[in-house]
Amino acid sequence: MLAGSVFFYLILMGHIRHMKHQQLQLKQNNFWKAFALDPARVPRQLEGEYLINPGAGVAADVEADSGNLAFLTQTHLLNGRAYRVTTFISAKEYRHLLIKAGIAEATIFAVLLIAIVVVNRSASRKLWKPFYMTMGAVRGYDIRQGRCLVLDANTEIEEFDRLNKTLLALIEHVDQAYRNQKQFTENASHELQTPLAIIRSKVELLSEGPGLNEDSAQLLQEIAEANERLSQMNKNLLLLTRIENGQYPEVECIEVSGLLERLAGFFQEYYVNDGIKTTVAIEGGVEVTANPALTEILINNLLRNAYIHNIPGGWVDVQLSDKGLVIKNSGPAIEGEAEKLFDRFRKGRVDNRTTGLGLALVRQIAQLYHYDIHYIHQAGVHQLSVSFR
Amino acid sequence: MKLLVVEDEPSLLNSITRYFRQEQFVCEGATTYMDALRRIEDYEYDCIILDINLPGGSGLQLLKLLREDKKRDGVIIISARDSLDDKISGLDYGADDYLTKPFHLPELSARVKALIRRKYSEGNMAIEIGVLKVDMAARAVSYAGEAVPLRKMEFDLLFFLITNKNRVVSRQAIAEHLYDGESDQAPGPEFVYSHIKNLKRALKEKGCPEIIQSVYGLGYKLEA
Repeated sequence: MLAGSVFFYLILMGHIRHMKHQQLQLKQNNFWKAFALDPARVPRQLEGEYLINPGAGVAADVEADSGNLAFLTQTHLLNGRAYRVTTFISAKEYRHLLIKAGIAEATIFAVLLIAIVVVNRSASRKLWKPFYMTMGAVRGYDIRQGRCLVLDANTEIEEFDRLNKTLLALIEHVDQAYRNQKQFTENASHELQTPLAIIRSKVELLSEGPGLNEDSAQLLQEIAEANERLSQMNKNLLLLTRIENGQYPEVECIEVSGLLERLAGFFQEYYVNDGIKTTVAIEGGVEVTANPALTEILINNLLRNAYIHNIPGGWVDVQLSDKGLVIKNSGPAIEGEAEKLFDRFRKGRVDNRTTGLGLALVRQIAQLYHYDIHYIHQAGVHQLSVSFR
Repeated sequence: MKLLVVEDEPSLLNSITRYFRQEQFVCEGATTYMDALRRIEDYEYDCIILDINLPGGSGLQLLKLLREDKKRDGVIIISARDSLDDKISGLDYGADDYLTKPFHLPELSARVKALIRRKYSEGNMAIEIGVLKVDMAARAVSYAGEAVPLRKMEFDLLFFLITNKNRVVSRQAIAEHLYDGESDQAPGPEFVYSHIKNLKRALKEKGCPEIIQSVYGLGYKLEA
């Protein structure tokens, strides 16, 4: 459009020049004809119309603008004498025409441009509306919440209808797979309970047997420990699934200070035998609103982690303020990314006392109540902090 | 005391009956719905240990029939289903207690004995081991007439060990027993260790001999 405007302007300019030339030439010819008929009676000059300069010699034609006038000077011969004849016309009108045409052209250009942009934008907004609605719905969809995704299947635009149908089918598929997966975890956990119960009962019967000696007791204890671990793992998996399914809706106000003091006390007393020193700084009256069972699991797992992933003669530092809980402990370096620690079955190192699910549970509970968890490791010191707000 | 164990898994049924026979219970077993139904109709039991999923029918159905018959047999449900809803529906049908698999045999034993104690409400709720006297109703312990001050958990621990006297009780079983109903996750051995230590100290201070023994690291045993 811009090129078109420039082209139009150039054409107009060329045409105006041509018109001026034609008119000057016509005037020149007319005047010369009149002059040639009776040179004596025609005055030499008429301001703004013509000028005759006799005997100026032969020279080339001159055509130019001078102020508001345009002039053409040509040489004519009469009776062996050369006359320089200059005719004038007003150039103002032509200039005005050009300026007005230019302004009109610029206005049309601007209005058209704005109109195109506006129309285009509103049309595309209207046209893409179903698309943006679909985008919004998909962005807001969370498979874990178990809510259905609603997409308009009749948007009046065939492509978007197809897009929505395909998306719905895909999500239905994924949702089904997710539900099956969850169901599987729960069913598998339940099915495992009976064999676990059998092993446990047999171990308990055997540990009372008359033939028990130190050697067989040792073997039995190892079986029992492995079985307890399996049982705990099973429970934790079930617990994770249940938290994910939102099966812990009951919340109450819990005094974290008291709970932490009690739990930290047990660990402190037990691990003193491993030479682990505990320092505790608990601010009183810190409360959270949460499920009591889950809160206890959260704190218990964090504490347990700090003691289990420690070094002989190490230390644990527990601090609670209204900002949150900070547990620091000495311990060997952990390989891999810190974030991965919270993944299921991700263990910092081989340890038969852990299920590999402790921190996954912590994360799940923290997510449920929107607590922030941060883990940092620096120079043999591990620090895990949970902020309750 | 007469006991009926309804459990479709023969191996687990065998463990339970064997454990209770050692405690001088008369113990019968049933592995199917029909078998259990016949026994329930024909006999009367002090306590019925009832699994829910049975070949041929549901344990809850058995429980319903039993209660419709106005039979007062004590019933403890043992089930792999451990959601609160399952527990509530079990108790609604008239069960006296609900225990989730996998359970510890000492725990089952303690529940059965508690049920029988409630049922016959023997009036005298005190247990005496030599001069050590444990009063269940008053939740008080005395040794040779002198009161032994115990905290709640320590009392529960002592009572659990006495209920299972002369039997090995694993740390895990103790942890789960003491924590019953409070959490889905029993705490680790740290917790039991601390309570055992405190209980032993409290008894020792009053001159009680070491009746609580550690059995090769398998657990603890109260000898009487």
